[in-house]
Amino acid sequence: MSGLLDAAILLIPLITGMTTGYLTRGRKIFNAGKVVSVAILLLIFSLGFSIGSNTELLAVMPKVGMYAIVLLTMALFFSTLFVKAVRKLVKI
Amino acid sequence: MMKYILPTLALGILAGYLNNSFGTPLLNTIFSEHVFNFSLIALLFLMGLLFAADKQSMGQIRKAKLKILLFPLAVALGSLSGGFIGGLILRIDMLAAMGVCAGYGWYTLAGPLVGQLFGLEWGALAFIVNFLRELFTTVATAIVVKVDKYAPIAMGGATTMDTTLPIIMHYCGQDTLIIAFSSGFTLTMAAPFTITGLSLIAH
Repeated sequence: MSGLLDAAILLIPLITGMTTGYLTRGRKIFNAGKVVSVAILLLIFSLGFSIGSNTELLAVMPKVGMYAIVLLTMALFFSTLFVKAVRKLVKI
Repeated sequence: MMKYILPTLALGILAGYLNNSFGTPLLNTIFSEHVFNFSLIALLFLMGLLFAADKQSMGQIRKAKLKILLFPLAVALGSLSGGFIGGLILRIDMLAAMGVCAGYGWYTLAGPLVGQLFGLEWGALAFIVNFLRELFTTVATAIVVKVDKYAPIAMGGATTMDTTLPIIMHYCGQDTLIIAFSSGFTLTMAAPFTITGLSLIAH
């Protein structure tokens, strides 16, 4: 249930942001690019913080690396394959 | 910006590790929960705002015909299938594996968001997978373009609207700009929705 609530709650800022952006379109209110950079760095730092303080997670890191390689290879292979198929179908 | 990401992550891991050994649990709660949630919500709000406020990006997609949207759709389905098959091969939670791949290369979002919705170990995996996706596209475009002119755009996923766009245009040709940009743009928009959607199914 908490997972369900988390997912729904996270869509609220995204949709609110889109609505705000659409309504204030063409007006430059503040330097959003800089604020985005700060938010990203804060987010990455705190992600690192929770990874670093989780000793169980640090222990399974080598395994995570193997998972990452398999998942990335599969994602890249099928993305390319599907794009090739679409190009054949609609001739882009 | 890019050059600050890895040092910041490393610094965060080090700080978390040191705090775990010598510090207080309070600091852990502040960073792992409050700062994390606050910046994630702020980032999602700002990204939504920037997308909707940018007349040019929306106009570019409208200018290109609707069939151009098949391109990011194929990349999205390909990434999700990759996650599914990869999950099968590794015998791990398939929905979480699909969530990891549904970042489409946008690691700054996918890592934290997947971590929040599926658990921290999946967040770490999502960060690595999507970071490597961008890195691989940057490094391998020159070679991959020989397989198919549009293969680098498929691999780049969401990153083809900004970070990998110059490289893709350089190697795949100026005419790929609209497809690369609109594909990256659509996938960037789709990433948070796909990841939260998968977590809704999982719960």
